[in-house]
Amino acid sequence: MDNPNIKPIRELSKILLEVGSLLMASGANSARIRTTIMRIAEGFGYNAELLITHRALMLTIFDDESDYYQSSLKRTSPHGANFRMVSGISRMSWHVVEDNWTFEQIWAEINRLKSLPHFPRIIILATVALAGASFCRLFGGGVVEMLVAYVATFCGLFVRQEAVKKGFNAYLCIFFASFTSCLIAGSSVKFQIGTNPEHAFATSVLYLIPGIPLINSLSDLLDGNIMNGLVRGMNGLMIAFSIALGMLCAILIYNF
Amino acid sequence: MEWISFLEKWIWLGFAAVGFAVLFNVPIRTLWVIFLLGALGGSLKFLTMKLGGGIILGSFFGAMLVGFLSIYAAHFRHAPPFVFAIPSVIPMVPGAFAYRMMLGIIRLTGDVDPSVYETLMHETVNNGLKALFVLMALSLGVSAPMLLFRRESAKEIKVIKIEELIKK
Repeated sequence: MDNPNIKPIRELSKILLEVGSLLMASGANSARIRTTIMRIAEGFGYNAELLITHRALMLTIFDDESDYYQSSLKRTSPHGANFRMVSGISRMSWHVVEDNWTFEQIWAEINRLKSLPHFPRIIILATVALAGASFCRLFGGGVVEMLVAYVATFCGLFVRQEAVKKGFNAYLCIFFASFTSCLIAGSSVKFQIGTNPEHAFATSVLYLIPGIPLINSLSDLLDGNIMNGLVRGMNGLMIAFSIALGMLCAILIYNF
Repeated sequence: MEWISFLEKWIWLGFAAVGFAVLFNVPIRTLWVIFLLGALGGSLKFLTMKLGGGIILGSFFGAMLVGFLSIYAAHFRHAPPFVFAIPSVIPMVPGAFAYRMMLGIIRLTGDVDPSVYETLMHETVNNGLKALFVLMALSLGVSAPMLLFRRESAKEIKVIKIEELIKK
């Protein structure tokens, strides 16, 4: 246990697992996680082997000189897309390779990335609602339908954020959001506000679509990470199911 | 008149992409690039569909354009290409098909008479298959540059800079 090579390996494995779990939680696909971790490990001159699953990462680092293996396992944190993190970690991995960053610098950078602010809540709500209105326009809605889609998306996303804060199950949060949006957009269908309110109803839940899980699922399948691809695809289907359930409840209430 | 409606669509496509970009918390410096990519990819999709290519081929071309442009954008805005590509193709993700399929499946569990069941089954399977194939087209299109250049990182792909083109 007095081998001087052991300490840096342990430190490195801690860093790599932290990086991997952050990437997994921020919505990177498996190939990117593997490439980034390998790049950092090689930057320090070690061989690393990685097992990636949806909820945990397993890493083995091997040092040729001392014939020492270090294996460790880490659970990934709950998922929530954060591309600022992915972008920052990718740049950091190049700093490690090109500028020979030390462990302290990497930890400082990881902490800095973790503390980076998200967009202000009102801006997120307003822009995503604008995206909802844009979808409505692309489906062929008019001004009134766009307004309905805007309000429905705004309120739905607000409910989702509140539900996430209260710590509800992730799928239940999506169900609540979809139900709220459909209740608001459905009232325009019920009372025939606007020329074709069905467009507003159909587009009011599009902000919930599981884009990242589904695209990552297919790109994982393409890379040959079949297990991860299937797991992500199933997650996407569960989200689609929650959206449909919320819609169905609203449809049953309005009875159309 | 047609060009005006096309231009209008362009703007809405861009806003749809930016909305998702904000939801995914992208770096601010990439926002306007995502607007452009989303608008260009979406326009190509609509153009293909107008020329009779169907939604699957349209999505494939649109995603491929986004994929190639995202490599350029990655070099010049310094972020991994997928930060640009994913928010730009998300407006093309067949969300409507996916939840319509789910609605159909839920409805199929009820007691419906055979003739209604048949149309419902037809719609559900059709929506589900469209969702699956559009998704395949999207992810294939986005990863097309990486698959073609056979590199693990966009940094290793050489990009011809605009200034060099002008010098030549």
